[in-house]
Amino acid sequence: MNRTHFVALSSLALAAALLGGCSASEGVHNPTGIPVTQMNPDERGFVGGTGVESQDLVTVTDKMARSILGIPQIANARTPPFIVLEPVVNDTRFPINKDIFLTRIRSQLNEKATGRVSFLDREMMKTLAGERELKQGGQVTASADPNVVEFRGADYFLTGKLQGIATQSSAGVSDYILYTFRLTDARTSVIVWESSAEIKKQGLEDAAYR
Amino acid sequence: MDSFRNGGIASLPLNPPDSILHRIPATTVALAVMLASFQYFTGCALPEASRPPVHYTGDRMTDAEAQVAAAAPKDRVLWQDRFAAEALRRGEFDRAKRQLDSVIATLGGQLSGPDEAARRARGYFSGESEKTFIGEPYERVMAYYYRGLLYWRDGEPDNARACFRSAALNDADMLAHQYANDYVLLDYLEGLATAKLGGDGSDSFARARANTKLALPAYDNEANVLCFVEYGRGPMKYAAGRYGEQLRFNVRPSNTHSAVLLVDGRQVALPPYDDLNFQATTRGGRVMDYILQNKAVFKGTTDAIGRLALTGAAIAHDNGEKQDGAATTLAVAGVISKVISAATNPRADTRTWDNLPQYLSFAALHLAPGTHAARIEFFDVHGERLPEFSRDVTIAVDDTSHDTVVFLSQLSR
Repeated sequence: MNRTHFVALSSLALAAALLGGCSASEGVHNPTGIPVTQMNPDERGFVGGTGVESQDLVTVTDKMARSILGIPQIANARTPPFIVLEPVVNDTRFPINKDIFLTRIRSQLNEKATGRVSFLDREMMKTLAGERELKQGGQVTASADPNVVEFRGADYFLTGKLQGIATQSSAGVSDYILYTFRLTDARTSVIVWESSAEIKKQGLEDAAYR
Repeated sequence: MDSFRNGGIASLPLNPPDSILHRIPATTVALAVMLASFQYFTGCALPEASRPPVHYTGDRMTDAEAQVAAAAPKDRVLWQDRFAAEALRRGEFDRAKRQLDSVIATLGGQLSGPDEAARRARGYFSGESEKTFIGEPYERVMAYYYRGLLYWRDGEPDNARACFRSAALNDADMLAHQYANDYVLLDYLEGLATAKLGGDGSDSFARARANTKLALPAYDNEANVLCFVEYGRGPMKYAAGRYGEQLRFNVRPSNTHSAVLLVDGRQVALPPYDDLNFQATTRGGRVMDYILQNKAVFKGTTDAIGRLALTGAAIAHDNGEKQDGAATTLAVAGVISKVISAATNPRADTRTWDNLPQYLSFAALHLAPGTHAARIEFFDVHGERLPEFSRDVTIAVDDTSHDTVVFLSQLSR
């Protein structure tokens, strides 16, 4: 091979070295992004931590709803009992949307036990009382006698509590959460049903964040 | 010849003797290897992703939101933090909540698994600022602290307590465990929330009291107005060390050292329970500090090797044709080593949540429903009033279903 050929080949090698390996997106993870995929709410996604997540909500509320339907006070009730949802108390280290737990339990019960339980919408009481006053004042029409008290009293209160234990060390973070829900007799204060679920998670973040 | 001694290759012979060409095409190989090595080790210069331009309107809140939207993903939390603090001080609580919820979601999602940005930051050829900014422990604490007081304002003391607990967990000294969870207010507020929820906050109160020499008032369940106060200027970061691999904090003590709230004929003391300058500088070691130190050592070593090799190449070249092969090899090795050293980036991440206060204070009091005229006054270390920061405030107590939360900042404009 003469010098000219060698220099030419070397120049080609140089050009290849310059142009070939240097993609603009070299080293970029998922440069084109990740298409949106629909997931089941009870699946663990690739984005998460050790706190309360959708799959925990689904697991816990499914368990609670199934359990409530099996108690004699619900299963054998001659008339559907009236239940008021009381806000869940959060005693963990994770700020959460507390309403979502009871909302899902309520929707599961309504879906799986149509007619066997009824829920009272106490959040609407102010609005409903105002509407009743309008009817009583004759400002709006009424399909029934507005002077008759028809707001239902609660037979049971359904509430819950989330409690947690967190541990952190150089080996990582660990979070244990205990979800407890109970049904309390509004007349006697007896807890007629209680159930719990517990979930523990642990993880260790990248060294760059430690 | 001299260029070898000087570490350059500009004067490599363009017409070398045929004996060398037959063995090694020196110029071309040297250039090709150098450039190929450079692009391999540096992973190429990544084109900056296009970002929407920020059209400044002059309105600080609008401009701040635009900056958040325009920020690179790795910097977004930093801009959200800054925006949230500014929004809080302006009373734009919903805006602050939105930003802080996003920040907290990012903080909580750091355990999601392999993090490409973090991996790059740990690599030899990227600086620490490649990683997604989540802040040093004191910055993460403040994100939770601010969100906590907003939850309390919305009548959710349990979620507020959750934030204070997460904040305390983030104040962790993973290596020495000496300065872990030494905030006063995080424990105090956790206990207060527990007491108000009908529980026993005495353990939290005891922990808070153990961390301060200042008098801490006992919990008053009848208190319906909670005053969160902040003053002074927080810490700033800078890089120190030979290659900027050491993270340091600029902590000039603030002129403001205490505050008092005057309301309904009362003087409510607002002492500096927590000091972010102290928290920043007593965070203990980071795992990342070791990584950066290793990078700095690597940078120094490869630089020294490169210098040595190029010096050797010059000497070999001077010794005549018989050592030209060795000279070329040493030159190539020297250049590669120098390139690697130049590409190594051990610089510490100095991105800073730069509108934080230095001091945090708190007071709980009972006020009758209605509007109350009050005045906040700030004092220096000698107890002299700082009239330029004192101002009148109005406290409206109109919701008896939950506590009224008042947020007062010396940094409000």
